[in-house]
Amino acid sequence: MKISLNMLREFVSAPADVKRLASDLTRIGVNVESVREQEDDWILDIEVTSNRPDCLSHLGVAREAAAFYRKALRMPGAHLAESDIRAKDAVGIAIADTDLCRRYCGRVVEGVHVGPSPDWLRRRLEALGVRSINNVADVTNYALMELGHPLHAFDLDCIRQHRIIVRRAKPGEKLGTLDGVDRTLEADQLVIADAERAVALAGIMGGEESEISNSTRRVLLESAWFAPASIRRTAKKLGMRTEASYRFERGADIEMAPVALDRAAALIAELAGGEILRGSLDVYPGKKSRAAIELRETEIRRILGSALLAGKVERLLPALGFRVTRRGKTAWRVTPPSFRPDVSGEVDLVEEVARHYGYDRLPSRLRSAPPSIERDSRRAKESELTAGLVAIGFREIIPPAMVDPEENARFTAQPPVAIENPLSQEASAMRSSAMPSMVAALARNLDRGRHDLAFFEIGKVYTPWPNMPASSGPSAGLASLRHSETLADERRVLALGLTGSTGSAGVHDKPRELGFFDLKGHIETLLGVFDIRPLRFESLAARPYEPNLAGRFLHGNEALAEFGELRQALAAQYKLRQRVWLAEIYLDALMRHPLRPRVFRAFSKFPSAERDFSLLVPEEVTYEHLDQMIQGLARNEIRGYGPVERLPEGKIEKGYYSLLLRVTFQSAERTLTSEEVSDASRELISALAELGVRLRA
Amino acid sequence: MNIEEKIQRTLAELGADNAEIVQALFAEVRAAMEAERQGLISGGAANDAERQKACRALRDRWLARKNGIISAIDEHWLKPSPRELKPLVGRAFNELRQAGAELEVSQLASGVPIKPDHRSAAQAGEATQVQPASADPVAAPDLTLPGAHRALGSLHPVTQVLREIEGIFLELGYRTETGPEIESVYYNFDALNIPETHPARDDWDTLYVKLPGSKDNAAVLRTHTSPVQIRAMEKYGAPLYLIVPGKVYRHDNPDASHATMFHQVEGLAVDRDISFADLKGTLDFFVKKFFGSGTRTRFQPSFFPFTEPSAEMAVSCWACGGKGCGVCKQSGWVEIMGCGMVHPFVLKNGGINPKRYSGWAFGFGADRMAMIRYGVTDIQLFYQSDVRFLEQF
Ligand SMILES: [Zn+2]
Repeated sequence: MKISLNMLREFVSAPADVKRLASDLTRIGVNVESVREQEDDWILDIEVTSNRPDCLSHLGVAREAAAFYRKALRMPGAHLAESDIRAKDAVGIAIADTDLCRRYCGRVVEGVHVGPSPDWLRRRLEALGVRSINNVADVTNYALMELGHPLHAFDLDCIRQHRIIVRRAKPGEKLGTLDGVDRTLEADQLVIADAERAVALAGIMGGEESEISNSTRRVLLESAWFAPASIRRTAKKLGMRTEASYRFERGADIEMAPVALDRAAALIAELAGGEILRGSLDVYPGKKSRAAIELRETEIRRILGSALLAGKVERLLPALGFRVTRRGKTAWRVTPPSFRPDVSGEVDLVEEVARHYGYDRLPSRLRSAPPSIERDSRRAKESELTAGLVAIGFREIIPPAMVDPEENARFTAQPPVAIENPLSQEASAMRSSAMPSMVAALARNLDRGRHDLAFFEIGKVYTPWPNMPASSGPSAGLASLRHSETLADERRVLALGLTGSTGSAGVHDKPRELGFFDLKGHIETLLGVFDIRPLRFESLAARPYEPNLAGRFLHGNEALAEFGELRQALAAQYKLRQRVWLAEIYLDALMRHPLRPRVFRAFSKFPSAERDFSLLVPEEVTYEHLDQMIQGLARNEIRGYGPVERLPEGKIEKGYYSLLLRVTFQSAERTLTSEEVSDASRELISALAELGVRLRA
Repeated sequence: MNIEEKIQRTLAELGADNAEIVQALFAEVRAAMEAERQGLISGGAANDAERQKACRALRDRWLARKNGIISAIDEHWLKPSPRELKPLVGRAFNELRQAGAELEVSQLASGVPIKPDHRSAAQAGEATQVQPASADPVAAPDLTLPGAHRALGSLHPVTQVLREIEGIFLELGYRTETGPEIESVYYNFDALNIPETHPARDDWDTLYVKLPGSKDNAAVLRTHTSPVQIRAMEKYGAPLYLIVPGKVYRHDNPDASHATMFHQVEGLAVDRDISFADLKGTLDFFVKKFFGSGTRTRFQPSFFPFTEPSAEMAVSCWACGGKGCGVCKQSGWVEIMGCGMVHPFVLKNGGINPKRYSGWAFGFGADRMAMIRYGVTDIQLFYQSDVRFLEQF
């Protein structure tokens, strides 16, 4: 809202220093965003929040200034020289739908000469960003800027039978509005009609056929009050926003209707000539008195933490237009004025007092929450997990969760959640897999010549619940959702993306291309943060991965992680020229496991012996088989073991691959003799022999 | 020909073309190894350091991967051995290698006694160390070369800022809560006193989602973290001290200061006798922690449907200290968050009696805080996953 300092000064004696005025207004909540000089005037640009329609006018801003500076508020004069002809003989007004129009006032000005406005009016309007049209239309806009009440001027001779009826539109009723659009109306949209047809869209825009023109001689001025929700619904539906609808949907001042009408009629008579017919028509079926609100000193203290302000109530609230009567020593009965639809409860009055007193003068106190013995294990787990990720070289990314659903479908069969009004096709669904965002992130950096990448993301994937109850009235179902319920299945995942080599080539290192076991190792490291028993691995065939290079870890039947090489056909679609390794770790499942416990176990003081066994293993026997067999032995002397070297099948002998297994023997009680080590070795070998494994000759 | 010379030749060169000669060769090597081991044990060492040194020297002579005797045998005897001898050589080699395990330092050291008066172990080590390779002085490397790095990863700058903010409130005993991102219109708007019929609803440019079985415009991508206020009140009741970091979504065309997806932090405190003074004191504490102890706060009246009274909080400009500069548009102040006393209607919707309890709440953009903290000028950089950006944090 633009405010002219000159116009404002007609309402209140504001300080000469416009900068000070601006900062004082901002301090009390009338937020002046900018101030600029314009010819002999200053224009203040005020950001008016949607709860304060009263401040969408010079009068409203002046009222705030008057209360702050303790000055009187002056209303503009309306010198009405009325003729002997009665207005009600010239026009009839009826409100058919009083729920949507609680008041309709009208005046008639006869014998006007429509033409350009005088310079002062044109300049003032233009300074406020309003285009000058003609003297009659300009006056209605000027009164709007002054008083905040929207007015409309009809050419009375275009109103059939000179009758105004405020009613809902007939379904399919047509109206050509002033913006040149022919509109088809719906039954819940309020119109101003004459005896035969709609002539204006109530509170939003007039009709072309009754527009003021140079040949207009008789003007019917409308000043009414329309129900905010109805105006808002209609304006939204038709995609219109006008100065009038903007104010009506926020709540116009019903008591201002006749005042603004008189002001405009007087100005029209002054600037366009003509005579004002006697009397104003005022159909006011919706008169309501506002309920008084009790304001207690104790509540002021409870909400603001200070009792100081109680003394301000009896000065401040009346200056802002409230009616205040004392009730006992520590309370008041306060009736809000008609122009303050935002004030309906005690706490609203507390705010009125506080903002004029000044928030910065209110006390300040630091208060902590009561101490709690509850531990936030989620936080501890997540911070260990991310510390691990950072330590092994992964960088965190936060890619957008919105994706192209077609791209999403390349990675998962789960449906994504569709966005009704997306900004673009590329961001028209909430992803059901973290992979598309991860691959896009890798591709983007590969394109820029960065070849060694390790990314992680902690984010959500989204999919509709499979059985959303459709029968129980969906909107009611959604509104009654309680806190524990979610509308869609949202799952937290940790996504990993890996590509390139083990480091950049340098003087010390010869990097090697990353492979499946680099990824698997990272996942084992990360899962190792938790105590997951038993943890099971299996190979996996899944949409985004190469068939023979994917696997997953499970606990019971619950998958904790799936990973593998990005399917090369998919990599080609992203024009990736190197192998890419991906993983999704399911955090909701993982986080249910406790962190790896820290329990000290004494280590042996006795020496250990290491032995390497060169094994020939039948090709169908996996390392997991050997592993389970050795674990099944449960020999205390075997402290640890691991594969050191593996030669593929057929290199040594057909049907067998060769595996060098390094085993560490150690006892907690004594130094093992070579015989004891040999005994344990023999037992190991004979156990493995059950799998068809034998020592290489 | 001594052992050092023999192991540099192949079996063929040594004329070992049958099992007997091969076994003899291996026996000779094993005997030499055992003799050296026994020599070290009977020689003893002057002290533990000497002992370690001597053991290591012996171990390296035999077991070092590079230039160790066993490696050389593998390389020169086993690998090039003729097919018919291979099983034999392989078995003998394996036995040798198993016996070699006795030379591991941990095994050796326990057997070597400390004898301070005796010939020092260092001398013993030198005496046995006759390999030409280790006799050469090692060429000094260029120590000014950069080290061999194992690069750390990094946390996203927004995560870093979120953690810092969360940490400040955890210090005050607040709990962290999250909540869903796909939200009902009820929690996102209606319960927060933002009815469809009020123009305030237009302050949030909303992305709606389609769910099976729900009608149009019934579910949204949450436009702010505020719905978690209601969810948490329902879940925990009062008293309640809460911080809600999370992703939010707006139907905004992306530019340098707007993103379709970004992060907010919501705060909420509900208790008996919570007043505007607590709001001011707590936020003042927060900004002093975050921006520095000299930071001042300024509160101005504002409007949010879910708070009453409502305020906009500004902090004294961190760039100029309040004198006025480009960062603060010459005002000395920068607005960073909206806050206010929780509206009684909102408490009631959360199942909390507004006559007994009062509360205060705040909300702000975490991305903006990260932009301020790190001098980032374009919010889009946070969401482009560009390594050139990420590696700076
Ligand atoms: Zn500054």
